[in-house]
Amino acid sequence: MLNTRSKVVAFILALGRRLTGLLCVLFGVSLITFTMTYFAPGDKASAIANARYPDVQGFPPEILDGIREEFSLNEPFFVQFFQWLYRFVQGDFGNSFASNTPVWDIFVANAAETFSLTATALVLGLVLAFALSSIAVWRPGSLFDRASVALASVGAAMPNYWLGLLLILLFAAQLNWLPAYGTGSPSHLVLPALTLAFWITASQTRLLRAFFLEAKAAPYIETLRLRGVSETEIFWRHIFRHAAVPALTMIGLDIASLLEGAVIVELTFARGGIGSLLAGSVLSRDYPMVLFLVLFSAVVYVFINSMIEFLQEIMDPRNSVWSHQQAVPSGEARS
Amino acid sequence: MTVQADVGFLEAPDAQRSKQELDLKRFLVQLGLSLLIFLVAVAACFLLSPYAPNEPNFLERLSPPSASHWLGTDQLGRDVAARLLYGGVWSIGLAFLVTIVGAIAGTAIGLAAGHFGRAADVTLMRVTDSFFAFPELIAAVTIAGVLGPSTTNMVLALILVGWMKFARLVRSLSVDLAHRDFVVQARLNGLPSYRILWRHILPNIAPSLLVLWTNAWSRTILSISGLSFLGFGVQSPNAEWGAMLLDGKAYMQTAPHLMIFPGLAILIAVLSINLTGDRLRDLLGSNGAAAG
Repeated sequence: MLNTRSKVVAFILALGRRLTGLLCVLFGVSLITFTMTYFAPGDKASAIANARYPDVQGFPPEILDGIREEFSLNEPFFVQFFQWLYRFVQGDFGNSFASNTPVWDIFVANAAETFSLTATALVLGLVLAFALSSIAVWRPGSLFDRASVALASVGAAMPNYWLGLLLILLFAAQLNWLPAYGTGSPSHLVLPALTLAFWITASQTRLLRAFFLEAKAAPYIETLRLRGVSETEIFWRHIFRHAAVPALTMIGLDIASLLEGAVIVELTFARGGIGSLLAGSVLSRDYPMVLFLVLFSAVVYVFINSMIEFLQEIMDPRNSVWSHQQAVPSGEARS
Repeated sequence: MTVQADVGFLEAPDAQRSKQELDLKRFLVQLGLSLLIFLVAVAACFLLSPYAPNEPNFLERLSPPSASHWLGTDQLGRDVAARLLYGGVWSIGLAFLVTIVGAIAGTAIGLAAGHFGRAADVTLMRVTDSFFAFPELIAAVTIAGVLGPSTTNMVLALILVGWMKFARLVRSLSVDLAHRDFVVQARLNGLPSYRILWRHILPNIAPSLLVLWTNAWSRTILSISGLSFLGFGVQSPNAEWGAMLLDGKAYMQTAPHLMIFPGLAILIAVLSINLTGDRLRDLLGSNGAAAG
């Protein structure tokens, strides 16, 4: 039996190990990203020159040499990498080749678009998934239940760019209710948000249904029912609360991949945002922009994933600092 | 009496197991038969179709589905059905290739991490974690775009972003297996490690690997058509389903069949593979989904 104090120490040690691992991964991520742009085909100096002076054809070697000097492109790989990393860690993300304005400013200008899209889609998708799955488990095997399972299966196989096109065809081209492309008014947000929300609904309905069914099958639920506790109370106070812990994990994973969905949806609907910014800068070889966006998405992804793992560890009663049970090592089996 | 009862008690799990095996065999036979029928049907379409996928016919541009063109024609008068048929080879076949390569590479790395000591494990898994940190689609768009949009570069990008889940699954399962009695005994008998891995570890991992692989296959079909639809993958005039959607997008108002049928084809292909994978997972009772 461990006492509370040594548990706190173990907890802090576990946190420290986790942070070290996180730092290693972040270093690896930045090394991979930088390597990719470093070895990308094509002359970087002329890429920069082309982006700066889009109207000029062919550059004299002096200008290219000047650019190489300015961006220290002649230095060896690791010198360039650590110079870049040093500035990056300090918050100096460099200027975009294309517009010669700071990468950060362009990012901030586009982030709001993506945030409003993903947040709307997330809320909408989760509300729908919750409604569907909670009605479905009311009577497992009923027509509604099977329909929701079918919807979830189809939704998982549905390419979201195609769903977007179908929505445009129906609501914009045929019915003329909503604008198809572009950004601006809230009505521009409806179709893209629906497209992205459908994906969340599909993946979460299936999982939530499974979690609800599992929680419902616990023997104590039957006991509560025999004691005369109302079905509403059983659902909200017991089934819902038990399903919430695994559900939070899966929702976290979906939040992490929302950014991927946003790339496709933004390009399908010709919206502004981080996704279309990434596609544009990749194609125009705007490397500082690409480096920043890829690293940003990786950091968000890593951060959310380790938050989830950490929360799981805290919520697992076996690992609890305050519980009076003996801590059971739960190492590899879960990974 | 008691002896019989005891034997019955002992037999029960065996009977259950053989029923499960019977179910699995029956499913595999059904799967094989349906695949055979499907392949014969596809081959018949290839042989009997009067149209080539890239053969333009300017007299019949954007015609709706009819008796001579079952699924209509596109903006260059090419037969949509013929293009869908060839497109399937791109979408499904390339995804197959990508996931097979990814699965082999991931399995090799996972086994190496699980069996060649702690240093190898830590190094390889840190590398895997670093690659895993990138959202799949964002990394694929970036790699394919930076290298220059083409089919080869897309395949390369998808292999680079797809092997990690196999490595993780194989590593965690093989670490669990390494402490099981039969593996320990094999080691005590002096079997070389490649034999242990090949004869004892790999066959026990295979079911989970298969489930994960079907899952990865269907997701890669979605990625390939998605990347092609965004212009980062298979390029026109090749008849990949996502590329066909991209071409058809401009004619949405006048010829909606150009964007309905390719999307439907993707949906059906992915759904079939997913449902097969779900059934396999139920029958194999594997934990492959945990790593998916």
